[in-house]
Amino acid sequence: MQLTEQQINYCMECGVCTGSCPVSYEWEAFSPRQMIRRSLDKETPLSQTREVWACLTCARCSERCPVGIDFPEFIRSYRREARDRDNPPRESHHGILQTLTRLQTAGLQQNRTAWAEEAGSFRDQGDFFYFVGCQPYFEILFRYLDLDALDPARGALKLLNSLGIEPVISNAECCCGHDALWTGDEDLFRQLAEKNLEAISASGAHTVLFSCPEGYLTFREQYPRYFGELPFQVRHLTEFLDQELPSSGLSFRSAEDEALTYHDPCRLGRQGGIFEPPRRLIDLPAKGKLREMDRSRTNAMCCGTTAWIECSSCSKGVQLERLNEAIETGAKRLITACPKCRLHLTCAQENTGLQLPVEDIYSYLARHLES
Amino acid sequence: MNEEFSPNIVTFACNWCAYAAADLAGVSRFQYPPNLRIIRVMCSGQVNPNFILKSLEQGADGVLVAG
Repeated sequence: MQLTEQQINYCMECGVCTGSCPVSYEWEAFSPRQMIRRSLDKETPLSQTREVWACLTCARCSERCPVGIDFPEFIRSYRREARDRDNPPRESHHGILQTLTRLQTAGLQQNRTAWAEEAGSFRDQGDFFYFVGCQPYFEILFRYLDLDALDPARGALKLLNSLGIEPVISNAECCCGHDALWTGDEDLFRQLAEKNLEAISASGAHTVLFSCPEGYLTFREQYPRYFGELPFQVRHLTEFLDQELPSSGLSFRSAEDEALTYHDPCRLGRQGGIFEPPRRLIDLPAKGKLREMDRSRTNAMCCGTTAWIECSSCSKGVQLERLNEAIETGAKRLITACPKCRLHLTCAQENTGLQLPVEDIYSYLARHLES
Repeated sequence: MNEEFSPNIVTFACNWCAYAAADLAGVSRFQYPPNLRIIRVMCSGQVNPNFILKSLEQGADGVLVAG
């Protein structure tokens, strides 16, 4: 969505975007307001700046924009151009996650289901497809953080099995393409998406369940834009469990922590519009002990990095601010519904003296499930 | 398609031991198959996991890190 000159004139230059931007809190020169104006500048096009990669695409600005400019989409359109102009993003973790993504299009046999064989029961064909996402890769890559990155997936499978659902989990699943798309690599996104659509259609599923907000939003919003209407339903697991759990007869033990708080992932909350289901689910064990941070729901802060690029002291600043905000509520545990938010907010605590356990909503629910 | 499979193997060899050993093999006129491609590194500890994945991505059938 490159804005035309006329659309740019709609911008009232009110600066609400810059005032809302987590990046500009840390990096003063970063200004979404000026970037809109500067996109008209022929001499130094936006696609040749570092700012084009610094945006977190968290949509806090566009949520508040009085003229409805979709800033994340605006940025995304320049990222493709930036790649073509030899201005690539700085890939975090030596680019290993990007290589892993590309490798998934190379037709290699993946082992994505070994964890599930021990964790519960699943099948090759059926009505429900559980899209696990990158978690099996995270489990290996982020061992050094001392968190079990597959635990949320085990929790999700346990909850689904308790509801009498044996979902399809497939070795043919690929990365959803979210990061490729948001870093301007549409060709890679297409290749991944086609493989996923094939894997899902081979399973015969009518509903695809996502534990990861990025996968969910990419399937819900982007896949139809590229491939037309999808022949299956796309549902986020928090939404699905919120509908199924209350009438299922399953019960939960009370949470041991005296207070908890919830971090809204940008893709699930502001961009996916799912705010209440995760809160209702957390309350099943928390029984009223959930405390809200000052900035939550549409107002929530981002976890500081996106698409495995541009991790910097700016990201760490955003993350530490968010963690301190969580601690200020008196919460002893931070729950989130996104595997990446969990990794980022855990990583940021290294060598800081902060000790706030960050747990995924599915692990948390499964841990308190009364068997 | 009766050709025998001959894998391309990328080898990262440490300058101070494995590379020296390969060199010694050469000096001693031992033969080793040509599908082993050696990349000298100053320490096998500098081999980032992504080097291995990148080799595979770019068509290697196997990767040997020797040090």
